[in-house]
Amino acid sequence: MGNVVDNEISPDDGVIVVKDLFKTFGKLRVLKGISLSVEAGKTTVIIGPSGCGKTVLMNHMIVLDRPTRGEIYFRSERIDELNEKELAPIRVQYGFLFQGGALFDSLDVFENIIFPIRQHRKITDWKAIDELVKTKLAMVGMEGFQNHYPASLSGGQQKRVALARAIALDPHIILYDEPTTGLDPIRSDVINELILKLKRELKVTSVVVTHDMKSAYKIADHIIMLHEGKIIAEGDTDYIRNHPHDVVQQFIHGRVSEADLAALRLGGTKFKTQYAPEDFK
Amino acid sequence: MLHTTGAKTVDVIANAGRFSRFVGRTCVGSMITCLQPKTYSLVWTQMNAIGVRSVPVVMVTGAFVGMVLAVNAYDQLAGMGLEERLGVLINIAVVKELGPVLAAIMLAGRVGGALTAELGTMNVTQQISAVRSMGTDPIKYLVVPRVLACLLLTPFLIIYADLMGILGGYFVSVIQLDINSAAYWQYSANGVELWDLSVGVVKGFFFGVVIALISCYKGFNCREGAQGVGEACTEAFVGSFISILALNFIFALITKAIYATFWTTQSLL
Repeated sequence: MGNVVDNEISPDDGVIVVKDLFKTFGKLRVLKGISLSVEAGKTTVIIGPSGCGKTVLMNHMIVLDRPTRGEIYFRSERIDELNEKELAPIRVQYGFLFQGGALFDSLDVFENIIFPIRQHRKITDWKAIDELVKTKLAMVGMEGFQNHYPASLSGGQQKRVALARAIALDPHIILYDEPTTGLDPIRSDVINELILKLKRELKVTSVVVTHDMKSAYKIADHIIMLHEGKIIAEGDTDYIRNHPHDVVQQFIHGRVSEADLAALRLGGTKFKTQYAPEDFK
Repeated sequence: MLHTTGAKTVDVIANAGRFSRFVGRTCVGSMITCLQPKTYSLVWTQMNAIGVRSVPVVMVTGAFVGMVLAVNAYDQLAGMGLEERLGVLINIAVVKELGPVLAAIMLAGRVGGALTAELGTMNVTQQISAVRSMGTDPIKYLVVPRVLACLLLTPFLIIYADLMGILGGYFVSVIQLDINSAAYWQYSANGVELWDLSVGVVKGFFFGVVIALISCYKGFNCREGAQGVGEACTEAFVGSFISILALNFIFALITKAIYATFWTTQSLL
């Protein structure tokens, strides 16, 4: 995979291929011609500021959203034109960790984890299912929480249980939407280690949406940066770290832009920042 | 002005189209569910939440309807010396119109509100997207069991409301207003036909389906945030309420035409 944003992408270039994707919600243009490929067995991290379309892009990879224009391929098969029924066997090959976990609050942890199994397989051996749930919970460090309800778990615990649910059907691809958002640094690192562990042990392909650069550097084989609905940089961690684009540097170092400072000044706000405007020249 | 009107019209038509599609998918899903015994457990769970827990409120509603009718109608009938016929007036009103309609309105508030709030919250917390992402149809998993539970249980809840309405009317008429018990039942039995009772109960199937469909649709399509869920609940109740009244009117026209075709209308007094 090169460091170029290119429209000449082929459906066979990766396990997931997004070709010339546009998405609008009403008058709001969210994605403006995204083309990318996700390499099998690798972790691709999509970074970018809030509201730049990262989650919308990820939703398209599993066709939770339909493109306004463009094509989505999974293992060389075009999937954005399939109906919900035809998508079911494809979605089973994915695991999706939602930003808030999206655990079913009316079901306990055990029932949440067996949900995808129950939907797609006939359960005859409940002892084996019990063992499977124990194994999945052990993988995410949540042994013994089978009978807890999501409401009684902390944010980090909910994300770990959601991850156990996402891997219940041993997926080939796991999509992580902001896996470390809202967690303290230690819990964030636990999630990072889990992502690495799943890649190592299950050989899964991962796509991670995040704006946590520490996490991105730790887990990424390949980083794609989105800005205002377009890819402005993609490459390995070193390439992104040394990228010459101002927006990329501002984002990865978490610096406020001069334009934002000027806007705050116009609003009459008096404030102090650790950066002076000349820092951005 | 023209632009706004046009945009609103397009919006209404698009919304009607989405709702029709939702109803169509629910109907197909319901038929499939009926043929798959493994999904019955989902329906049972909803029947407990929707039906069993609604019995007390529906019974209280029915009882007060019967009692209020007795209190208000007594003076008019007593003035004409027809107070012993109070039973027929109360019971026909309860079993044919007020019992079914008020029980359905009570269900629209209790069950419809709960369905919209539950599904709306699932929507804004991405739980519905999670169901889809795991290759499961959320209509089949979330909507169909709720619609079937409402379809199957609303008629029974209406029977409970009717029963309590009859008892409430009897209590006020006979115990409080001192009307002769035998005459009360005699006139009631002569005036209220099986047809009247059947019409009220059959309405329950339609009211139940309408409440569930509107409530689930609003929950599935609610806007983000607590305000979005709140608005969806209000819209679901108003939509169900108006639909129940409109359906009741259509039912009145149809059942009257059917009755007039096969039987002759008799005077209740």
